[in-house]
Amino acid sequence: MNDNLERTQLYDWHKENGDVIPFAGWDMPVRYSGIREEHMAVRDSCGVFDVSHMLRLWIDGPDSVEFLQTVTSNNVGMLKINDGHYSTCLNKNGGTFDDLMLYRIGEEEFIWVTNAANGAKIWNHLQEQAKKFKVKVMDKTKEVAMIAVQGPNALSLLSKMSGKDMDEFDRFTCNPLTIAGYDTYLCRTGYTGEAGAEILVLNCPFTNEGKARAIGFWEELLSQGAEFGIRPCGLGARDSLRLEAGFVLYGHELDEETSPIEARIPYAVKFKVEPHYFGYDVVQSHKKGGVKKTRIGFVMIDRGIPREKYPILFNGSEIGITTSGGLSPILDKGIGMGYVPPDTVEIGDVIEIDIKGRHRRAEVTKWPFYNPDKYGETRTR
Amino acid sequence: MGDTEIKDGLFYSAEHEWVRVEGDIAVIGITDHAQDALHEITFVEISEVGTVLKANGECGLVESMKASSDIFTPIAGEIIEVNTDLEDAPETVNEDCYGKGWMFKIKPSNLKADLAALMDGNAYKAFIESE
Repeated sequence: MNDNLERTQLYDWHKENGDVIPFAGWDMPVRYSGIREEHMAVRDSCGVFDVSHMLRLWIDGPDSVEFLQTVTSNNVGMLKINDGHYSTCLNKNGGTFDDLMLYRIGEEEFIWVTNAANGAKIWNHLQEQAKKFKVKVMDKTKEVAMIAVQGPNALSLLSKMSGKDMDEFDRFTCNPLTIAGYDTYLCRTGYTGEAGAEILVLNCPFTNEGKARAIGFWEELLSQGAEFGIRPCGLGARDSLRLEAGFVLYGHELDEETSPIEARIPYAVKFKVEPHYFGYDVVQSHKKGGVKKTRIGFVMIDRGIPREKYPILFNGSEIGITTSGGLSPILDKGIGMGYVPPDTVEIGDVIEIDIKGRHRRAEVTKWPFYNPDKYGETRTR
Repeated sequence: MGDTEIKDGLFYSAEHEWVRVEGDIAVIGITDHAQDALHEITFVEISEVGTVLKANGECGLVESMKASSDIFTPIAGEIIEVNTDLEDAPETVNEDCYGKGWMFKIKPSNLKADLAALMDGNAYKAFIESE
């Protein structure tokens, strides 16, 4: 074990109940019972994830809107208090430094939640850019725990625990809320495709008391969630769920060489904004049709499980490369995503994936990979 | 790790494969330690019958929910049978890795020398404890 790995406030619980492995510099649970079982709990009832390894920044000051508009690609000024959106932080070439959730919690106060793997990079970038503005960027990762509750029963559980009807909170909102006596921010977001929330549990520093508080909240969720079929879920299920939902993962579908237009997350990018953010011009040219590559999804026709960095072939020629892949527990087939030049394939085309020298057929499909009438937030209940 | 199962009478590789000699044939699979580390095996693919392999040659792959791992043959020779039951029930490797979860059979070309390079149960136990 590497002694330099970071641990979340819930580490002791994970160590006792799960299989803990290194992930993005953190000791994190990959699973408790089994990835497939945890995955299906989220699709069928409810799952709870410790996502406290993600970076949580508080941004405050009279220039916060202008500052954030220079470093993120969505329309910051459009955000109302207690609203949030998905966004990207770009470099000057329109490549992606990071993707993030941005929540406005006051006139001048915002919360920025981002990938663990990019923590140091984003922290340094924002500190540097913030020098030009009257704004403070504060790292509260180690003061606030973050726990995701996801699945068709997640909101019923949170209604029961908070005494508040979750229908009051729209998707992407971020509201202060007391849940079972714990002060939190309830963010109506997630990374599984299902309804639910990501909960910022306040006052959880890295002291014995703070850790006990985070574990106390987690155990409260598990005990009150029993009647809703709740299960603790590890990062293995988190990855298989996001893949099945067709969500990008930084380091796979997104990197500094890839723009949000190429990644086909156009909702993270707005153009009627002032000032222009880093990479604005490049992203605008991509939007007007100038991309060199585009993200596709595919489902295996032949047997085999695609993984990242496998060649994609079409009509016998190599056209691109996969960025993620795995087994979809819902389809019981291999699924994946990757990049190909624009206009080379369309939905329904049969491509081949080179799985360690074996060429296996796959069909180009839309995401999510599950039937959205039966699964996910849009399911017809 | 303390309760990992190691069977006497088998030969073990550093890649966590086991070999059982049955007459003039070698039966090969992955160890309890390997299946436990992979967890939830979802797919097994072994090279076709008739494939001739060198010792430690790559001859297939195992997919789990977590990752993909290559399979190597500790014994040189020709693949004479592949466990096709694993196509529809790869989880058999998790349930019975030394029995119904065997992966392939080899007609060895250099058995004695290849076996000499492998570990017995005690040596393998010490090996995984030191890993």
